[in-house]
Amino acid sequence: MIARTSARRKGMVSGIAIVAVVGIFVLYPIFFLLQAALKQGDGTVEGSTGYGLGNFERLPSYASIVWNTLEVSVVATIIAIVVGFLIAYILTRTNVPFRRGLEQLMAVPYYVTPLLGAFAWSLLGAPHSGFVNQFWQALGGEGSIVNVTSAMGIAWVMALFEGSVAFVMISAVMQSIDPSLEEASQVIGASRFSTMMRVTLPLVAPGVLGAVVYVFAEMLGSFSAALVLGTPDRFYVLTTAIFLMVTQYPPRIPLAAAMGVVLFAVMFLMTYFYRKMIAGRSYVTVSGKAFRPRPVDVGGLRWVYFGLVGAYIFLAVVLPLLTLAYVSVQQLATALPAWSNFTLEHYRVALSQNAIRFAIRNSLELGVMTATIGVALTGTISWLLHRTNLPGRGALEYISMFPQAVPRLVFAFGIMWAWLVLPVPIYGTIWLLLIAYVTVFLPLGVRTISSVLLQLDKTLDECGQVCGANWSQRLRTINVPLLRPGIMAAWMLLFIGAVRELGASILLVGPNSQVLTPAIVDAWNYSSSELTAAMALIQTVVVGAVIAIFTVLTRRRELKG
Amino acid sequence: MQVEDQKTEIEVRDLEIRYGAVAAVGPVSFSVPKGEQLTLLGPSGCGKSTTLRAIAGLERPAAGVISIGGREIYSSAGDLNVPTEKRGLSMVFQSYAIWPHMTVYDNVAYGLKVRRKSRAEIDSNVERALSLVQMEAYAKRPASQLSGGQQQRVALARACAFSPEVLLFDEPLSNLDAKLRGDMRIELRELQHRLGVTSIYVTHDLEEALAMSDRIVVMNKGRIEQSGTPSEIYNYPRTAFVADFVGSANLITGTVKTDASTGDDVVVETEGGELVHGTAHGRKVGRKATLSVRTVHLQLHGERPAGERNVWPVTIARSIFLGDLSEIHVHWAGRQLIIRRSALDRMDEGQQVFLSVDPSRCVLLEDDGDTN
Repeated sequence: MIARTSARRKGMVSGIAIVAVVGIFVLYPIFFLLQAALKQGDGTVEGSTGYGLGNFERLPSYASIVWNTLEVSVVATIIAIVVGFLIAYILTRTNVPFRRGLEQLMAVPYYVTPLLGAFAWSLLGAPHSGFVNQFWQALGGEGSIVNVTSAMGIAWVMALFEGSVAFVMISAVMQSIDPSLEEASQVIGASRFSTMMRVTLPLVAPGVLGAVVYVFAEMLGSFSAALVLGTPDRFYVLTTAIFLMVTQYPPRIPLAAAMGVVLFAVMFLMTYFYRKMIAGRSYVTVSGKAFRPRPVDVGGLRWVYFGLVGAYIFLAVVLPLLTLAYVSVQQLATALPAWSNFTLEHYRVALSQNAIRFAIRNSLELGVMTATIGVALTGTISWLLHRTNLPGRGALEYISMFPQAVPRLVFAFGIMWAWLVLPVPIYGTIWLLLIAYVTVFLPLGVRTISSVLLQLDKTLDECGQVCGANWSQRLRTINVPLLRPGIMAAWMLLFIGAVRELGASILLVGPNSQVLTPAIVDAWNYSSSELTAAMALIQTVVVGAVIAIFTVLTRRRELKG
Repeated sequence: MQVEDQKTEIEVRDLEIRYGAVAAVGPVSFSVPKGEQLTLLGPSGCGKSTTLRAIAGLERPAAGVISIGGREIYSSAGDLNVPTEKRGLSMVFQSYAIWPHMTVYDNVAYGLKVRRKSRAEIDSNVERALSLVQMEAYAKRPASQLSGGQQQRVALARACAFSPEVLLFDEPLSNLDAKLRGDMRIELRELQHRLGVTSIYVTHDLEEALAMSDRIVVMNKGRIEQSGTPSEIYNYPRTAFVADFVGSANLITGTVKTDASTGDDVVVETEGGELVHGTAHGRKVGRKATLSVRTVHLQLHGERPAGERNVWPVTIARSIFLGDLSEIHVHWAGRQLIIRRSALDRMDEGQQVFLSVDPSRCVLLEDDGDTN
């Protein structure tokens, strides 16, 4: 064969280097997770007596936890998909009033997070003390009418927030269907109902099934709602059980690792199937063009539909935030307001306590660093994936999407062990958190930037080349300006994600590296719900302010351009 | 017509391009004299755009040599592959590739700016380029607000603003509507003459190729079928593919009557027993032969025309009105022939008429084992 030019060889070497670095960050913790799961002995690492499958053999005695996990995940998935499907149908296919506005509001639950929802719904629906139950008793009722600390309650809170994810996925599928496919059916003589059953549903089915698998995998790995609502009543799912086993004394690391491996294996399989489905689906219904199907006139029913969507947004966003705001300004949280109970003390405490201010500062610093490093890294990865024919691209894509299949808590567990054994004093510092954040948010960043990159015509760059611009000139004058919306969106998503991160942070924080979300959970467990509500709202306001600033900045750019 | 300097400007020798194990192009060889326009013509997927992109340096060939102005820019033997931006050429893309985040002015000035020209030089060159395409008034417009035709013009202005020696066109007119395409065809040709630039033009549109080129290279399945001047290609197609792709032709296959054929004159006997006189155009005559006859060269007459050779009585099978032309199908020698003629007199189905063709219009195809 002909020898290749040195530029090409250089490109190949740097490509392989990037695959190797990303591979180490992603796979090295997984290796330690597996290793810990296979350790035999008395349950501590020090007393280990070699390797074997002993830990897995002991798992059946935790069948009740597996059952809890399945019960919560299945119920939550069903509710989330039903909610997501209904709202997707209403907003893409009917002439519901204020359609545009409702569509934008549907993104908000995602930003409110299950953790905040869990705090708020715990205040609202805890047995006896929950506001709803207080009202019930005040009205002369007996006992409690709602209980969010049950499996059903946890599933309800999780479903409320995952519902908006299901909505986004299913409405994307519904919008991608060529309306002429349905029109053809009606022209041939099928009724609207018959068209729905014979044409629309079969076309939507693969996409909905994909959403089911995706949401179910998310539910299996979700942590915060079960931690806040279930743990006080000793109701455990796999993630909270792992957390307990790692943090209790004495810790039962190998057993926790074995549970983590099982959870990881199931989620990995589900994510694999999800990706298979997505790959197959794109040939069937998505024609690359975004259709705006003509909405069906549903008459008076449109106000019913409006009420349904409004009710969802009320339950997932308005009610939780109002509850937290209401609680945060009370000396002692009660359902019925009283002027003598009013106080701003909790905000003063939250903003003046050194530990909390330290945590806020760490979180913001980590947010900025994670977003900046993450965008540079995922931008490079996206470019390598879609704009080069680098050998090993397939592996790179696979590795960078890998963290999606691992619950963050389990990932953090692996990271913890991986870095403990290294003679680098990084454990207990914010640098370990930075490594964890950048790793777990790889899929989010790559997906966001890739989606913009794929929409960008390749010839825009090639034309710069033909005009005589070299690589760095093209990057500066063509590619970065054109990719700016994607880069900004990715930066914002990574920042928000890092500032609110719980699952990975809670295992990796140390006395000198406290961050905000675990601090809020600590306040919930050891201080008061009023202080927690104040802290949670402060976090929400900070994140909201960043979103607002970014939106204004991007708008201004658009107007200028 | 100006006197052309016949120095070779672009040379492509034994160029091969592969995608993995699949051979996409080649080997192909051709050259373009300075100031001329060569067109790569062929159906989609024939490798013409890939060849163009290899010349631009956007595609890496597997083997061969490419040189511009006597300087090698790609050579597999010399392990040389000059990056696109150092090849000093320019290109107009099918998608126009107008940068939507810049103004018209910034788009056109780009090539000058990256060459670090002075402010005054940039201004005057941009103005000149924009006036060439009559877009001076749009300089301050954001490029995202242009129509397709305007984008096309800006792309053209951008491509010639920095006075490149070589211009490459990748189907630049295929996204325009038919009327605009006709106008732009003439404008482009005049522009190319005025600038005296050497260019390679890729298209699948026959009329575009015939109207705009000094030379045409017809490509099929990654290989060159025929190259020559537009009239050579049209009048003397070398293969059945060229005859069919370049305009519409009737292909008549039969056995050569060696006793009746002399020199360039060939006589072919069809399976139906008809004798057709044709011209070999200097090509080797074998035992079997295929003649290509353009649909417009077949004549229909109400009365028997004078002459003995290539006159047959036929029945009209079908008559299709196409506006400027009519397409007539006739039964002849157990098959149908297609005739296109300007619709002066009506020809009805079932009517008995006479068919004739000038023997010099019946061109022998080269036998490359693919005669159908």
